[in-house]
Amino acid sequence: MNKITVHCTVNHKPVAVEIDPNKRLLDMLREDLNLTSVKEGCSEGECGCCTVLFNGEPVTTCCMLAGQAEGADIVTLEGVSVDGKPDAVQEAFMEAGAVQCGFCIPGMILSTEALLAKNPNPTEEDAKKALSGNLCRCTGYAKIVAAVLLAAEKKRGEA
Amino acid sequence: MKPFDFYAPTTVDEALALLDQYKDSVAPIAGGTDLTLELNERKASPAVIVDLKKLKELDYIRMEDGKFHIGAMATHARIAADENIRKYARILHDATRQVGSPQIRNLGTIGGNIAQSSVAGDGLAACVTLNADVTLRSVRGERTMNINDFLAGEGKEKRNSLVADELLTEISFPVPDLKHTATAFYKLAKRKSLAISVIAGGLVVSVDDDGVCTYASMRAGALGRYPMHFATSEQYLVGKKLTYATMLEVLPIMHDQVLEANKSRPWSVFYKKEGVQGVFKKLFADVLGQLGIEEVQA
Repeated sequence: MNKITVHCTVNHKPVAVEIDPNKRLLDMLREDLNLTSVKEGCSEGECGCCTVLFNGEPVTTCCMLAGQAEGADIVTLEGVSVDGKPDAVQEAFMEAGAVQCGFCIPGMILSTEALLAKNPNPTEEDAKKALSGNLCRCTGYAKIVAAVLLAAEKKRGEA
Repeated sequence: MKPFDFYAPTTVDEALALLDQYKDSVAPIAGGTDLTLELNERKASPAVIVDLKKLKELDYIRMEDGKFHIGAMATHARIAADENIRKYARILHDATRQVGSPQIRNLGTIGGNIAQSSVAGDGLAACVTLNADVTLRSVRGERTMNINDFLAGEGKEKRNSLVADELLTEISFPVPDLKHTATAFYKLAKRKSLAISVIAGGLVVSVDDDGVCTYASMRAGALGRYPMHFATSEQYLVGKKLTYATMLEVLPIMHDQVLEANKSRPWSVFYKKEGVQGVFKKLFADVLGQLGIEEVQA
């Protein structure tokens, strides 16, 4: 097996990672780049815990080979905060009490970021649809959806 | 994951050369939503993986000469968001927008969905209902065939016609004439999201200016190895004036066909022989509404 070098932008910085190709993007982010906000849940694309933004769109990194990230722009939860401070979405999740165990939250927040980048005025239905690939086993989703709507208000400068 | 060598060509010709060179143990990877899991679980262990993600020349949706041409690397998300697909090929819009989750739709491709030919592939069920053509390419040349012939093929693992050095490159089908033709898809599943189809129903009907049915295509995925073809029901509708009442008359035929075909699977047949009728009621109401014939609540 020949090693490959994956060149991509991770959390706004260019990186070149030399790895064995038989790794998922999830493994490269966690093991080689130490980005442990990217969680491994179901390992089969069903739970959304390993979600990152890949060229701005949410994807599940357990379903991708690391080599497929060549040239991509990747954002994990670590890349969301601004100057080390939580951004509007993170603030909203805290204020709304949307977090219980927290394992699903990195994915939830990234799916929310992707939604709000495209749609600054989401309806409750839009929020539910945007988070439909992120499962939470603690909550009933009500506070998570509330957090998304609160985040939208914050981004619009209304809250 | 077992070791493999990884190549990410940027042109189709390069990809085909790699498939030819390593055809004894090679797997192309598109979105990766199936293959990555198989590799991770060691259910697949090819010596070489050829990534198709960089093949921008296979990522397109075009309307040309009365036909839709969809590149194999177009993702479900891209197809679901395409205005022309939404307007002219509702069946494919409704199938792709319900695949998996937003994350899966951003990764998974229509070409991968058809090449995998999974029992419950929603894109596959929609394309079979549309009677689409698929184009396969290798260093040996290009061939375009009807999707039914494609599925009947004896290629790799007898899944379909694809052989080891071949790539599925395009799906094409005529742009439906909306004045006379309507298409619809209905997914019956356990949840709204992240759900595998229990029944993936597809329907295409055409009527003449008097509302008489001139063509019907009735298919449903997840009822057999490949999308089930309700040929007798289609024949029943052709030549009749299309109304909801007429369409309901085929439900017993569909019931019997599902029962007969799935006798060996008693645990699912009791449910599916009833379910298929509910799915097609929805589809009938959908196409009748689109054609402006009748508004029905199904």
